[in-house]
Amino acid sequence: MENFASAMELRSSLPAREVILEVEHVSKSFPGVKALDNISFDLRRGEVHALVGENGAGKSTLMKILSGVYQADSGTIRYKGKEVTFRDVNQAHEAGIGIIYQELNLIPHLSVAANIFIGREPMTRFGTLDEKKMNADAVELLSHLNLRLDPTIKLNKLPVSKQQMIEIAKALSVNSEVLIMDEPTSALSESEIDELFAVIHTLRDRGVAIIYISHRLEELRHIVDRISIFRDGHSVSTDDFTAISSSEIVSRMVGRKIEAIFPPKQNAPTSEKVLEVRNIVRAGILHDISFDLYRGEILGIAGLMGAGRSELARAIFGADPIDSGDVILNGRKLSLKSPSDAIRAGIAYLSENRKEEGLAVKMQLAENITMANVQEISRRFGVLSRSQEMEAARHYVKDLTIRTPSLTQIVNHLSGGNQQKVVVAKWLFCDSKILIFDEPTRGIDVGTKYAIYELIGTLAHEGRGIIMISSDLPEILGLTDRLLVLHEGSLVATLNTAETTPPEILNYAAGVATSITGDSRMSDQKLPQKREQL
Amino acid sequence: MSETNVEQIKEEPPKVRNTSSRPQIALDKFITLGAVVVLFIFFSITAPNFFTLRSILSLALQTCAITIMGIGVTFTIITGGIDLSIGSVIALAGTVAVMVAIAGVPIWLSMLTGLLVGAVCGLLNGIMITRLKLPPFIATLGMMMVARGVALTITNANAYPAPEAFGGLGNSAIFGTGPQFPGIPLPVLIMIAVALIFAFILNKTRIGRYTYAVGSNEESARLSGIKVNLVKNIAYVISGLLAGLVGIILASRMITSQPNSAVGYELNAIAAAVIGGTSLMGGVGTVLGTVIGSFIIGILTVGLTMAGANYFMQQIVIGLVVIGAAAADKLMSRQ
Repeated sequence: MENFASAMELRSSLPAREVILEVEHVSKSFPGVKALDNISFDLRRGEVHALVGENGAGKSTLMKILSGVYQADSGTIRYKGKEVTFRDVNQAHEAGIGIIYQELNLIPHLSVAANIFIGREPMTRFGTLDEKKMNADAVELLSHLNLRLDPTIKLNKLPVSKQQMIEIAKALSVNSEVLIMDEPTSALSESEIDELFAVIHTLRDRGVAIIYISHRLEELRHIVDRISIFRDGHSVSTDDFTAISSSEIVSRMVGRKIEAIFPPKQNAPTSEKVLEVRNIVRAGILHDISFDLYRGEILGIAGLMGAGRSELARAIFGADPIDSGDVILNGRKLSLKSPSDAIRAGIAYLSENRKEEGLAVKMQLAENITMANVQEISRRFGVLSRSQEMEAARHYVKDLTIRTPSLTQIVNHLSGGNQQKVVVAKWLFCDSKILIFDEPTRGIDVGTKYAIYELIGTLAHEGRGIIMISSDLPEILGLTDRLLVLHEGSLVATLNTAETTPPEILNYAAGVATSITGDSRMSDQKLPQKREQL
Repeated sequence: MSETNVEQIKEEPPKVRNTSSRPQIALDKFITLGAVVVLFIFFSITAPNFFTLRSILSLALQTCAITIMGIGVTFTIITGGIDLSIGSVIALAGTVAVMVAIAGVPIWLSMLTGLLVGAVCGLLNGIMITRLKLPPFIATLGMMMVARGVALTITNANAYPAPEAFGGLGNSAIFGTGPQFPGIPLPVLIMIAVALIFAFILNKTRIGRYTYAVGSNEESARLSGIKVNLVKNIAYVISGLLAGLVGIILASRMITSQPNSAVGYELNAIAAAVIGGTSLMGGVGTVLGTVIGSFIIGILTVGLTMAGANYFMQQIVIGLVVIGAAAADKLMSRQ
């Protein structure tokens, strides 16, 4: 622990703007693709340096080279004035380069302290684990992050945001002087993001150099000093953040001008109810939620992490058991025992975890598209027609402009945006009338986001009902017609999107305001109980 | 018009590697099939009597048990599970069939009973796994012990001779032309039929597609409306049913109830599946691969015996082949 404090002191005494890491003319190829082409990039002590670019721009490849996962084909990397090549992750670690991946690399069944010190556990004289020292060190380390936590608590008992802090603590415990963060806010709520930013500020002031990768441009302004933009394996530019406008960043990322972040509105909600959700209760998670969805409408669901948004969607879809409540589709009550009933009735749920819950990533594109409706390509006795399957896949690849080298491509090798389109195709092939999108643009680059927004608009325009869950407020405001705000499992507000403002939504989401306003359609039905917990 | 669409897709510069599964799988098969040919040539040279029609038929006859079992266990492994009970189920199904035949039930009906016993064992495995949520390893390990115990109990650990006619299935051959060519043994024909039928089910039918989907990503499959529990149950019933089939074939060849037969066969069957490219992580595997895997084990056993290597030596070689095949699979998928 002493090392940590002294290293911190040492760092703050050094000149703040010294270049600590320099990447010069680095290239890296994989079979069939040049991931990095003559990239140059430099990082200074005590700065937060944003790295942005669309998926496939080469950000991750560069990060993997810096952290020793890959080695560069050519070019040099200078770290603290010396040319270095990291042969593996440990070498980069020991040199003081820590990386926090988008997917957390923690062990759920071990304690907080055990996770922080894994692989470097302090030992007693007898060669057993020194739990006492480990826990004490963990407490001290966490206090540097303004975090008071019982170090013996099992990791899986903590919310994702706290787990992320543990990951940061782990990186710091090895005296990281360079910290790479890959989409650190993708799983965090607004208030948790503020906490994270406070920690990043503290680290920066102590002289840690931070590379910050994010797709959320609006959040960069709070923390970033300089910004580098990558496109198609090239480094496009590096600027002081204050010297470049958001629209300029976006146009450099995509290499073309994007006029609007959101496409023009295509859909117009009708007055025809397609889905009635009545008094859904799941003990401790969802408290008596009711709402309607109309044909051609895009209905947003906003709320903080843990407000029960995904749980509500999963309840409607029959993916999780509920205690009481009804879902009525075109006048018919659904059984809600398993997703198959909801699917047959025409409801689709596009999970926020595409790879875990939306796709079978080892299987082919065509097989994924037909997966939820294999009956459609079945002949007698359940025998599949491969040609019908290919026909369907070909149709959707063209219709949704899925970029793939072939219809039999293994889905794992597609980019995030194209994977999302495959999931959409899967549900369109079921002829779903109601699509529930859960964080549809999470981890998707700017250019593809626009395409997904357009697609959602088109689907609503075609007369489908859309429910869209999102943590991205601009996205909710830019796309939806109405929106529900959830707070701790209760529906606290139904708002007309055109009449609301971000502060109003956040007030409801945070539980500050509690009235139900904004929608005359709600008036004829029972008002949801409000925040019965408090 | 469909042709032009594909052309358009291909014209776009692919950002990702073209890793269509088909050539890859074809390559795997090519290599394992190549191994069979190499082994054949090797033993034909080292063991003078190896490359004769008679010994090839005998090889096929000896390999059919492990092939049929392997096909069944491949289904369970693709769903992400395992079936350790099949060796014991063979013994149980075989003894029950013989005991029922001794009691005077017609031969065909007693054999059907044996099949039913196998299927029921598989169903019980499936229920333990899907309803009680037991790990497949534990559930089928328990079934392995129970089935063996029941087989020993009902026979009092004795080998009872079955009626003469019970031996028909295991010991007859067809298309024989006399002493030169005794014909193709019936069990070999059964093996071929099983391979064709189950390859068809796995590749061409809805249940086969669901089997892969469940093993590839169970949660995705569930959220796609696939009845995951039903799919798993079917996989274990197939595994049990095919073990039952092997049980009556073996009992028929011996014309006795053998409660101690097929000990450890399940591990050979799993080895055959692994050599054939089935991934114990689930989602990957084929019937053809397992058939080839079985024949690699079979050729090694028969060939090494004819070449004069003892049983202990054979075990070492087969063990190394299993490890080598799994390692080769890993190396190839890493590229």
